[in-house]
Amino acid sequence: MNKLMPFLQKYAILIPSLLLILAACTKEVKIDIPGFKENLVIDGSIEVGQPAIVLLSKSANIYAPTNLEAYINSFVDDATVIISNGTTIDTLTKLCTDNLPPGTEEIAAAFFGIPVEQLAEVHICAFVSTEMVGEVGKTYDLKVIRGEKTYTASTSILPPTALDSLYWKPQNGLTDLGFSWAKLNDPGANSDAYRWEVKYVSDAGFSKPFNPYFNDKFFNGLSFEFAYENPMSFNGEAPENEQGYFRRGDTIVVKLSKLGQREFNFFDKKYTQIYTAGNPFATPTNIPSNIQGGAFGIWVGYSYWMDTLICQ
Amino acid sequence: MRFILILCLLFGFYVRAQKATLSGYITDSKNGEALIGAKVVIPSINQGAVTNTYGFYSLTVPIGSYQIEIRTGIYPVEVKSIDLSNDVSLNIEVGSDVKELQEVVVNAKRGENVNSTKMGQIELEMEKIKTLPAFMGEVDVIKTIQLLPGVSSVSEGGQGFYVRGGGPDQNLVLIDEGVVYNAAHLFGFFSVFNADAVKSVNLIKGSMPANYGGRMSSVLEVNMNEGNNKQFKVKGGIGLISSRLTLEGPIVKDKGSFIISARRTYIDVIMKAAIPDSSPFAGSSYYFYDFNAKLNYKLGQKDRIFLSGYYGKDVFNFSDNEGGFGARMPWGNGIAALRWNHLFTNKLFMNVTGTISDYLFKFGSNQDQFRFELASGVRDVGGKVDFSYFPNSKHSMKWGANYIFHTFTPTSVSAQTDSVVFNTGAAQKLYSHESALYFLDEFDLNDKLKFNVGLRYSMFHHVGPFTRYYKGDGISTQDSIYQYNKGDLIKFYHGLEPRFSMRWLLPDKSSIKAGYSYNYQYVHLTSLSAVSLPTDIWYPTTDLAKPEKGWQASIGYFRNFFNDMFETSVEVYYKEMNNMIEYKEGAIPSDNVNDNTDNLLVYGKGWAYGIEFYIKKSLGKFTGWVGYTLAKTDRKFPDLNEGKLYPAKYDRRHDLSVALTYKLNDRWTFSSAFIYATGNTLTLPSSWYVQEQNLLFNYGARNSTRMAPYHRFDLSATLYDRPYKTKTDASGKEIQIKKKFRSNWSFSIYNVYNRANPFFLYVDNDGNFLNGDFKISVKQVSLFPIIPSATWNFEF
Repeated sequence: MNKLMPFLQKYAILIPSLLLILAACTKEVKIDIPGFKENLVIDGSIEVGQPAIVLLSKSANIYAPTNLEAYINSFVDDATVIISNGTTIDTLTKLCTDNLPPGTEEIAAAFFGIPVEQLAEVHICAFVSTEMVGEVGKTYDLKVIRGEKTYTASTSILPPTALDSLYWKPQNGLTDLGFSWAKLNDPGANSDAYRWEVKYVSDAGFSKPFNPYFNDKFFNGLSFEFAYENPMSFNGEAPENEQGYFRRGDTIVVKLSKLGQREFNFFDKKYTQIYTAGNPFATPTNIPSNIQGGAFGIWVGYSYWMDTLICQ
Repeated sequence: MRFILILCLLFGFYVRAQKATLSGYITDSKNGEALIGAKVVIPSINQGAVTNTYGFYSLTVPIGSYQIEIRTGIYPVEVKSIDLSNDVSLNIEVGSDVKELQEVVVNAKRGENVNSTKMGQIELEMEKIKTLPAFMGEVDVIKTIQLLPGVSSVSEGGQGFYVRGGGPDQNLVLIDEGVVYNAAHLFGFFSVFNADAVKSVNLIKGSMPANYGGRMSSVLEVNMNEGNNKQFKVKGGIGLISSRLTLEGPIVKDKGSFIISARRTYIDVIMKAAIPDSSPFAGSSYYFYDFNAKLNYKLGQKDRIFLSGYYGKDVFNFSDNEGGFGARMPWGNGIAALRWNHLFTNKLFMNVTGTISDYLFKFGSNQDQFRFELASGVRDVGGKVDFSYFPNSKHSMKWGANYIFHTFTPTSVSAQTDSVVFNTGAAQKLYSHESALYFLDEFDLNDKLKFNVGLRYSMFHHVGPFTRYYKGDGISTQDSIYQYNKGDLIKFYHGLEPRFSMRWLLPDKSSIKAGYSYNYQYVHLTSLSAVSLPTDIWYPTTDLAKPEKGWQASIGYFRNFFNDMFETSVEVYYKEMNNMIEYKEGAIPSDNVNDNTDNLLVYGKGWAYGIEFYIKKSLGKFTGWVGYTLAKTDRKFPDLNEGKLYPAKYDRRHDLSVALTYKLNDRWTFSSAFIYATGNTLTLPSSWYVQEQNLLFNYGARNSTRMAPYHRFDLSATLYDRPYKTKTDASGKEIQIKKKFRSNWSFSIYNVYNRANPFFLYVDNDGNFLNGDFKISVKQVSLFPIIPSATWNFEF
């Protein structure tokens, strides 16, 4: 399934390639882009068995500085974040990089995208729930109060869908390199949306492939097999000819998460934007948030199914 | 039929008692081609007639003996004496006594600028077009009309053209009365019109007469050559990236002729040489070809048939051998038109046309075991009948009907792996009947006032079979489908389209003209991209997508100077357009799958207004024109840009074009073209933010960024061979013999001062926050630098 979207994206992207093959030159220009307005960005999620985590930041002008200091300063922690599951109300606790509980450094480094050794040098805070963890079938309401503004959102954790099978096979012409393959029996009744993540069994956090989100628009109620590449192989350590593949003998953990349709719309448009941003042959895509009050970002609940695969 | 007879009786009987009619065809003696727009004038009574598209004229005047003048614009005025005591049928061949390359003395269209009721209408002479600078040596009709005021190009690399603030789909492009849905090769770098096969070009950008309809902005009418009915001829050209060859000749001398013209690029050969076999892109190629053919035959004095055909295709192959990805993308038009001219009387002319028009875009690709195919197109089968009636020299009428059966395939997608066929839904096809009746009347109220009034009644039936997808949000409402059966009437639209134009002749060789037209448009071009592409989808009016409709009013002052040497005009226009369509924000190509395209569309209004200045010098060694337009065009869609007004992407405040030609002598002609236009608008991100360590953008107000102005200067020179060669005859005397083989070299320099004009802008990001080298920047992509070219043209 992950192959169909790239095809459609290539369909849009191919056209310029012809023009650019023919003749093109590119130069940097400074041009007036009106309409900037600073917005709060809410990046929040809650997963089955895990506390809610909410990260707050600000959007920046397109010509704003883009150094590390600017990036760090884009995060904000002067807000109150509250979640509720209908019965319990939890005011989230601030957890900052320069004051992390012991043993959480690696997870925090992966979450913030900052090397472990630099964590203490910066001050970025996440808001974490202490009173509740995600449960299947529950709806979670989020409220963020910052200054005089209040932002709200709601998400539900849907029952997970298990993969029918998970296997590895070598790519045509190769013996020890191949993709991870899966067979999914999609439930037919509803629109289902999924996220694919994977990690080596020894890794702390999961990695996402190029386009980890998909829904059943093209296969609702069908059973089908599909492949995903190895996102960890692009970290610069694997030789170029092995990038994208799992090696025979690798032990990996695959996590197939389920999310709601509205939340999927956010991620779907997000990856569309990532692949088409700047391409004049695609419509400018603003990413639809499920947050009320004018903030960017997403508040999403995940359930998941997970399994270990030995590539052989 | 009864209606025609009544009209004939009403108008014919009255005039027959006192007047006589002179009618017939005017043709070129060199090749038998009908001459369009030639004038038959009787100076003594200051009356005349103009030939129509088929070279037919009809002039009813008081009985008497006259000297008539035949003004063609190609040859000097020919004078004939004629006794008009009765109706006379007179077919006139002009140019038989004229030596090659003789200077044109009087232009047929002299004074037309001031005298006719035509507003916003420009006829271009192919010979002039051929001398203007040509991009890569390819003479281009559409590039030339883009030099006219009120007409602007999309951009380099964008197909179509914009007329007075309307979209590219609002132009009715006709080749021998067949509709051309995509008039561009290579994304607009070249048009589908092969200059060797084209006889005349007529652009109507305002006050569209009632015999035209179906589009809101303009009509571009291209007529193909009919073929030489005197002798066989071959002509062609060899250029940098393409070559062309045309054959023409009589089927039966003076009765019928044919013309076949073909053109092909060899960019694919150049690319093959440029891309080594070791390259991952080996196998990538592009080419286009097109083919024009036309037959005509005189069945008798009163009947003539024409069969015209066009077929052209662009093919783009892309290979990424490393990624295991391959794609093939062919697209093109096929058009055929069969026409029958019949002369009921010397005042009543009929043309019946049957047309087929087909446009198809395909995209097929494969990667590993995945295969993906997409097709989109439109096929029209239609017919029309037009009557022209000429009661007297100051009065003419036209009426007729036309009908088109449309079959649209907006998106047909299939995707599969070795084991699974994805559910991409059945190919969506939409069927509709578009028809119209019209009547127009052109008359001189007195010596000063002339009117052209018309009324068109158009109808559109959207019929089954059709699958309507009702889209739920996937949360509280689910998708559902309704199936219409074959022939079911899904929706019927109709409307009256009044048309009006008038001319008020002022005493100082000037005139004031005004016009109003109301138009319905039942087909739409939906574009996901910021530039116009073959991937744009033609979509009909449906139960959801309403017909576009709008009106345009214009007023202008027209004046000629120095004995018609200079033609000038100033026109002001205002245009309002309703039910315009755009894609919803964030729509992507896959949204068309398992859905109706119109579910993805939003509807809004558009306005355009401007003032156009035009100065043309058409006589003498130094000819050309200067056009300047000051204009504004806005859009307002409730579902876009927060419902606020925004500029159209081709809103151009200033548009200046200068096209000049200097004929130094019989051998050298020099031309230049200069274009300046305010930059197009586009939507760029105004801010960035980070989510899950991904850099994301938020776009500002729609079309709020304006690119740098577009300007360019082109030069060309044409070197003709000597038309005569000198030989010594038996008596030792030197004689000049006309050469059978003629040739010329055309040299062009495109973008002389190497301006990097913006093709598009994008926001680029590079580096890493943690490394301190992260940077967001705006990049401008420009396409063509200075490009010299040379083409060798020949004829024998």
